[in-house]
Amino acid sequence: MTGKSLDIPARPYTGEKARLSRAYDYLILVLALFLFIGSFHLHVALTVGDWDFWQDWKDRQWWPLITPLMMITFPAAVQAVLWPNFRLPLGATLCISCLLIGTWITRFFAYHMWNFFPINEVLPATMLPSALVLDAILMLSNSLTVTSIFGGMVFALLFYPTNWPIFGMFHVPVEYGGAQLTVADLFGFQYIRAGTPEYLRIIERGTLRTYGQYATPLSAFCSALLCTLMYPLWWYLGKAFATTKYVKNI
Amino acid sequence: MSTTAQTISQSTPRAPFNLPWYLRDLPKYLLTFAVMTVIYVGFRMYQGAYAISTGLDSSDPAFDIHWMRLLYLEGAFLLIVFPMLWGYLWFTRDRNLDKITPKEEITRYFTLTMWISIYTFAVYWAGSYFAEQDNSWHQVSVRDTPFTANHIIEFYFNFPFYILMGGSAWLYARTRLPLYANGISLPLTLAVVGPFMIFVSVGFNEWGHTFWFREEFFAAPIHWGFVTGVWFALGVGGILLQQVMRLVQLLDQIEDAA
Repeated sequence: MTGKSLDIPARPYTGEKARLSRAYDYLILVLALFLFIGSFHLHVALTVGDWDFWQDWKDRQWWPLITPLMMITFPAAVQAVLWPNFRLPLGATLCISCLLIGTWITRFFAYHMWNFFPINEVLPATMLPSALVLDAILMLSNSLTVTSIFGGMVFALLFYPTNWPIFGMFHVPVEYGGAQLTVADLFGFQYIRAGTPEYLRIIERGTLRTYGQYATPLSAFCSALLCTLMYPLWWYLGKAFATTKYVKNI
Repeated sequence: MSTTAQTISQSTPRAPFNLPWYLRDLPKYLLTFAVMTVIYVGFRMYQGAYAISTGLDSSDPAFDIHWMRLLYLEGAFLLIVFPMLWGYLWFTRDRNLDKITPKEEITRYFTLTMWISIYTFAVYWAGSYFAEQDNSWHQVSVRDTPFTANHIIEFYFNFPFYILMGGSAWLYARTRLPLYANGISLPLTLAVVGPFMIFVSVGFNEWGHTFWFREEFFAAPIHWGFVTGVWFALGVGGILLQQVMRLVQLLDQIEDAA
């Protein structure tokens, strides 16, 4: 990251140049909105997707691990363009906001209105608090290293507590048919799907169950570690894609 | 760059509706947005009307009438529109690019941004709405054909259509802007070719769902081809940087000449 561009004295545009510049900004805003809804949403849907789609997939093993890990990707790549070049500390917030807009539209019109899943069964998780903190850390530190270590960690660790107010009520235990379930499980058994997790047999399993209440923090800290590595990886990936090269042949 | 002599609009070509000269193509841009919205919302309403009544069993004659015919219509539409649009862009190319004025070049940069914006709007419908809707539909329907009620729209209209728009943006830049004509922009090419590979990944997806597992499990490896394809959309950052650098140069040229 370089601070060279800050050495140039700022001389703001005025008059028609300013109006032209603003018009260009608005065009870019519309472009960016649809770009990140379309691309980041597809990336998330096909990597985290099932854990985000359904209440009964939101387990303690994979959900807190995979969601931040896959969702720190585009924010890091977009920050790598917007912060060093334009001093805009909003790359992560932009990506996550676009993701939420796309996700909510789909959950309502595709899941609820078309195939009649209750909207509470398909509520998306949010990474917005994590994204705000990630942007703030980059802005305040102006350091890739600090943002990777502290931003990456906080991005992952904030995920579970900031989502718990949304999803906690669906983890209340209920007795059904002589067995103990959560409300989320009940949703799943009432609305059988091709992707019912018990059918695919990939929900929470293994020794984490024996750790009892420690399962979630363990997953969250594992995710925090991986996010500190994922962040710089995607920062450099973002910089690589944002090349300004022209070539003679492709 | 001066902050005083900032009036740059004398002797510029006029734009319709009293718009500033650099927004000459704004009405076409907005009209394209409107037409595309009608098409995509129309598809969704068609699905709402006929998917459950006729789209669950591919051996049902009603499936042929409501869904396979739609597939053939989409194919015919794309077969006509692809060569027409790309042919128009190619045959009306500017053969005197070394003679265009800075103002004309700025206007064309705005138009290119509009083309890319239209491209990303098509990417939105293909990558966001109809993509995740695919998961919703295949949870409740038995997948007995590659041409399901959502695939017919998502894979065989939406995907080719954003390729059409992305390719058009690339062709527009290559045929009407000097920098893009002198060299091939790497980020623009990445941003168009990468998502094109998503379309190719349909083959892997269908193979996987036919011979591997039929359930809709979105995070499964058979879908990761789509994921890597969409990463290339990050090339838009490079296009932005290229454009901003050139626009600043052009504005300086106009101001120095004034």
